[in-house]
Amino acid sequence: MRGLLSLIFAASALLSVLNHEFQENFTALTNARVVTITQGVIENGTVLMEGDRIVAIGTDVEVPAGARIIDCTGMTVYPGMIDSGTQMGLVEVGSLSETRDNTELGTLSPQMKALTAVNPNGVAIPVTRVNGVTTVLTEPSGGMLPGQAALINLHGYTPSQMFAGFEGISMQFPATGRRGRFDQRTDEQVQEATEKALKLLNDTWNSAELHSRIDSTYQARPESGRKPAYVPSMEALRPVVRGQQALVISVNAARDILAAIEWVKERGLRNVIFTGLSEGWRVADQIAEAGIPCLVGPVLSVPTRPSDRFDKAYRNAALMHAAGVKIAIRSGETANARNLPYNAGFAVAYGLPYEEALRAVTINPAEIFGVDDRLGSLEAGKEATLFIADGDPFETSTTIHHVFIGGYQISMESRHTQLYEEFLNRSPGLENRDGP
Amino acid sequence: MKRLIAFLCLYALMAGSMRAQTPTGDVLVRNATVLTVTQGTLESTDILVRDGIIAAVGENLSAPSDVPVIEASGHYVMPGIIDAHSHIGISNVNESSAPVTAQVSVGDVLNPYSISIYRALAGGVTTSHVMHGSANVIGGQNETIKHRWGIIDPEELRMAGAPRTIKFALGENPTRVHGRGTGKRPASRMGVEYVLRETLTKAQRYQEEWNRYEQEVRTNPRAVSPAYNGQLEVMSDILNGDILINCHSYRADEILMLMDVLKDFGIQHITFQHVNEGFKIAPELAEFGAYASIFADWWAYKFEVYYSTAYNAAILTRNGVLTSINSDSGELNRHLYHEAAKSQKYGGLSDDEALALITINPARQLGIDERVGSIEVGKDGDLAIFDRHPLSVYAVNRHTIVDGIPYFNADRDADDMRLAVDPESRIDTVILHDHHDDHLCLHEGELDLYDFLTNH
Amino acid sequence: MRLFFGFLLLAVLLPQQAAAQVNSGDEVPEVTRTFALTNARVVQAPGRVMEQATIIVRDGLIAAVGPDIEVPFDAEEIPADSFVVYAGFIDGLSHTGIPEPREQRNRERPDDPGDPPNEEAGIQPDRDVHGLLDPEDKRLAALRNAGFTTVHVVPRGRMLPGTGAIILLGGETANEMVYRARTAMFAQLSPARRMYPGTDMAVMAKLRQLFTEAKRRQHLQNLYSEDPAGLERPPFDPVHNSLLPVLREELPVYFHTQSALDLHRALEVQSELGFPVVLTGLNQSFDAVDKLRQAGHALILTLDLPVIPGTSESYEETPADSVAAPPTDAPEKLPEIADPGYDTNLRVQSQADLEAEKANLEKRREIEHRKYLANAADLASSGLAFGFSTLGVKPADLMGNVRLMIDNGLSEDAALAALTTTAADILGVAASMGTVEVGKMANLVVADGPVFEEKSKIKYVFVDGKRFEVEQPARSGRQGRGDQADLSPAGRWSFTVSSEDGNVGGTITIDGSATNWSGTITNDLTDETADLTNIRLDGRSLSFEFSLPELGTISVSVVVSEDSFDGDVTVEGIGAMPISGSRTSGPESYHP
Repeated sequence: MRGLLSLIFAASALLSVLNHEFQENFTALTNARVVTITQGVIENGTVLMEGDRIVAIGTDVEVPAGARIIDCTGMTVYPGMIDSGTQMGLVEVGSLSETRDNTELGTLSPQMKALTAVNPNGVAIPVTRVNGVTTVLTEPSGGMLPGQAALINLHGYTPSQMFAGFEGISMQFPATGRRGRFDQRTDEQVQEATEKALKLLNDTWNSAELHSRIDSTYQARPESGRKPAYVPSMEALRPVVRGQQALVISVNAARDILAAIEWVKERGLRNVIFTGLSEGWRVADQIAEAGIPCLVGPVLSVPTRPSDRFDKAYRNAALMHAAGVKIAIRSGETANARNLPYNAGFAVAYGLPYEEALRAVTINPAEIFGVDDRLGSLEAGKEATLFIADGDPFETSTTIHHVFIGGYQISMESRHTQLYEEFLNRSPGLENRDGP
Repeated sequence: MKRLIAFLCLYALMAGSMRAQTPTGDVLVRNATVLTVTQGTLESTDILVRDGIIAAVGENLSAPSDVPVIEASGHYVMPGIIDAHSHIGISNVNESSAPVTAQVSVGDVLNPYSISIYRALAGGVTTSHVMHGSANVIGGQNETIKHRWGIIDPEELRMAGAPRTIKFALGENPTRVHGRGTGKRPASRMGVEYVLRETLTKAQRYQEEWNRYEQEVRTNPRAVSPAYNGQLEVMSDILNGDILINCHSYRADEILMLMDVLKDFGIQHITFQHVNEGFKIAPELAEFGAYASIFADWWAYKFEVYYSTAYNAAILTRNGVLTSINSDSGELNRHLYHEAAKSQKYGGLSDDEALALITINPARQLGIDERVGSIEVGKDGDLAIFDRHPLSVYAVNRHTIVDGIPYFNADRDADDMRLAVDPESRIDTVILHDHHDDHLCLHEGELDLYDFLTNH
Repeated sequence: MRLFFGFLLLAVLLPQQAAAQVNSGDEVPEVTRTFALTNARVVQAPGRVMEQATIIVRDGLIAAVGPDIEVPFDAEEIPADSFVVYAGFIDGLSHTGIPEPREQRNRERPDDPGDPPNEEAGIQPDRDVHGLLDPEDKRLAALRNAGFTTVHVVPRGRMLPGTGAIILLGGETANEMVYRARTAMFAQLSPARRMYPGTDMAVMAKLRQLFTEAKRRQHLQNLYSEDPAGLERPPFDPVHNSLLPVLREELPVYFHTQSALDLHRALEVQSELGFPVVLTGLNQSFDAVDKLRQAGHALILTLDLPVIPGTSESYEETPADSVAAPPTDAPEKLPEIADPGYDTNLRVQSQADLEAEKANLEKRREIEHRKYLANAADLASSGLAFGFSTLGVKPADLMGNVRLMIDNGLSEDAALAALTTTAADILGVAASMGTVEVGKMANLVVADGPVFEEKSKIKYVFVDGKRFEVEQPARSGRQGRGDQADLSPAGRWSFTVSSEDGNVGGTITIDGSATNWSGTITNDLTDETADLTNIRLDGRSLSFEFSLPELGTISVSVVVSEDSFDGDVTVEGIGAMPISGSRTSGPESYHP
């Protein structure tokens, strides 16, 4: 297997001769339609960037002498899109376990950090960002507390260069839904497994709360000498128990969502995000009332019940939004996280207002992850993370011409474009077939 | 071969009588933008379907008053979408017990109750090529079905007259299931070639033996026939060109291998399925006359699709390879129009080229282009009517018409369109689909849980 | 958890013979083979009723039937005033008397899963049910107590389990039981596990292969028997050879179908291969009535009916006339559901509509349920005659299910025909069975009222002239129990599960009352406890389930008599073994 692995990485290294230019000085995007998200659409405007920041936006922005100018006539500038659910950098080839770092052994491993295992050279990263998705949440999976998800920008040579300022503890809430078509457990078996999982969850949480209390008291009275036992998983849960870190709960079936809301209430947790929500529309009022923000998707999926209308998954985001739930859209993909805008597009086709769909892939996730001071809209002072397209980014006919991440102008190459260049008119074609 | 296998005759007779019963309808679609695919785009045009066949395409058509009318002003009509690779509407996918199972056919286990058929219909798909899985080098025979939702006789799902096809599979799947699973060849791409050549050679021998017998029995009524072998019967039909090969394949080398094998056995018709590395050998595919049926952008789920490009459709098309985009999935098949649209993002195909990927091109690959795949007088009245241009992400399908009968109507259909409900089932069973589970070809699984829960 | 590991051991080492239920010698011996049922209402055949008649049973036959018949001196007279006598019921297809096969767990896959030995692949047409019969099987008596005298039994198995036999529910040995051997070739679309044919489509391909090759061999055999000179001898193997009587149309295939899809597939294979066929099961034949009418095959309909989860088995009747005509604005396509309570246009627009959705889905399920209940009536009204099959139905549910079919439109005459005359016709035994007529076998059901009325009880069953008294549930019980209909299973019981290889004991505790039983089971071997589920008491038949991680659901079915029980423990996929127990304490009312 080592041969195979070295083959993969040697090849990806070979293909990755990309140039990303850091724009130290001013860059001005002129004559652009600017979709700021938070401050409306500016026709014929200018976006001025300096280093890693946007410094000015408007129709009357003065472009400093010497600034690099990109004429955006006929183009639109958008903030980079944020995919709030992927396994980017953690999974290289889905079926090869040696190339998957998204799952650690054990069901309780909240101390595991996805950021640690993000491979900055994952082949899907360039493929994703050239489609305007500049930032993704990458999540560990497997077990009840698989670890900590991390928000990363899709440019950088080390995980810390990529880190976009949010880490949350991932949790799989005990699920009564069947896991795909090959799950043929009886209803009783599903019920039993769920109850068992819920008990484990509560036992774990009791311990985490106790551990946190012991720690608080010890911190107040170090002279007691009763330092809490070293339990890495409990230490990892401490900031969540104290509301200092977000708990990202994956939950899908309607009755599980209700159970999760109830559980969150019982535990008095304030910093909670739901993710998945396949049946969110069925309990949208309760979610809205609980005020828990939701990472919804994939939109492009089949209904959860055979009796459901064929388009229920497409409509889910719209119905949740209409009920007053704050939503972000996630692709649930890795190699094809590039399809995030099409997930948003389908949500629009099936009822989500267009403006809201845009927000669901920009400012909403930024706010949910608490990074709206840096990302999610085009505003002076925010990071220069944006893309320039010749049309609506949700439409397949649109081409994205430039992408900036944190002030770096990103190469528009990816494995897919490189192979296209090489093979569109392959040379030799049919010549030399018996050898040169 | 003139061998009289009684059941084949009976079968043909039955199929004939069934065909007569398949319901057809009349419909007049008025004032639409008609995307004929083969003959350009016609504005403010009517389409008249009589007895399930397109009778006229033109402006201001008139029809008897009893013909139902669909006012489609501002809407776009395209030919019913054809999914060249699907596993919906069947009870079994893989007979994975042996590397060669040519004798089985998914056409024997059609399941007209499968809700996946309706969901595909809702996405404008009128015809699906439902296939055996990819566990075996030579899998089972496939079936081309029409989405006549609500007709519960499995025979009525068949597209009568469509050529027979069979599934082959190369690469990781058959070597995993057999060589690395049960310890039977093949365990490598070398072994895959060996299994193909051996089986085809056996079929040649089998034909020879029967030919010899048929000669002899003319003069000697006491001649002894060779043993009957249902598997080699099918293989010999392949040799005769009566069954079209559809081969699950990814890597360039294995595709070249199969073309060499087919050349040696005088077989001309081949559609490569998935064919993620088809772009690498587009000139060879074009030279052979091989067809490619691909995913729009699926890749990296296994090693043999690691070196993929979403520009595959464009490279193949530009190199003269007849290409289609398929779903292989009960999720993707609901938005093949969107999958086709990706060929515009990746390589800039024209509207007609993009639409051809899911209409006339798969029709040609399946040998049904005389009947379906474009809007032309004389073809089947299979239409999808969208509220916008179907290559837009915002397009929503309003009507799907098969044989002139509107089987899907976005405004009229209720939520629960199941044809049968198991009285012993719960009303609130939830199935959470993993995207990747939908690609049945990647699995050896045999059971569609949806179908299982709703029909068994 | 390693709950009840002992059971696992026992289950794997299944007993070859069930607990010896040999005649204890306590029974009062019969002194004559002549009986006179006097003054009875005799339903000779569906629609042919004779009032105040006497039936003379002599030497296994019906010697006389009529109003003015003298009771012979050697007869034991059974006063049957107010009783109703019917021909013994005929079960068109079941596995009654055939023990569950021993299923080897973790069996190694054959060397070549693509070409496994026939036996492992379930291709055993050369096997006959006779050698598999177990006269001690308790289901034989249970079925007889439900009024059945004749059963068409076929082997258990997969695609071709073997040939069947018609047996009488009166003999004490397999030989005594068999009325006619090799009556049918049993077939079903039942794939092998992890080997060829592993799918329905492969079963169909395999049937084509076997029949087509058998046809060729038949031809070769004909040539050879005309004159062997110059011919290589035809190949022989028991599998192909056993299909030859089918090809010669001497032996019908009983093709079992459990779903509409099965049915279409069976019809497809049959029409290709042309063998004589009787279609059995037919659980969803309502979806293929026209095709069945065209095909014209004989039919054996299952007595199994689905039960909506969370409901009792008694179905709330919806009168047929309350079903309105479809509203005119309903969709012109399927599903055409014409029921005033069902909204065919329901669209769930938001969470606000979920109640309406729930009501509609429940209604839909009820409507679908009714299709099954009305299935028999639909077949009958389409002019299709059928017999009944008890395969897969608990004997205690049989008559209740017939009543459900009657409540849903099947006429009583049609029901009786299915139980008697039509079944006899299909099985080819109409000359000797199916009616109460002189000269026929004395196979009779004697009930204390019309047999399709719920309150009627079967008093006697005559099989081949032999009288069996049907023990009534202990309603007359012992003193102090009054009119309490059912025994109470409440209390603490000690039990023993026995096999050749040893016994396991333990304790079962049951609490609660008729509507809500609960309980636990503990075994002595590991001392671990599991909860009982689905506890049901029907007369004296007590059944419940419990589950073990290693074995899944284990069901227990016993007959309780006062303070003891006897019955079977069945482990899904493994088999059954006998269990017996005695009450060690409770219920309180028992020991005043």
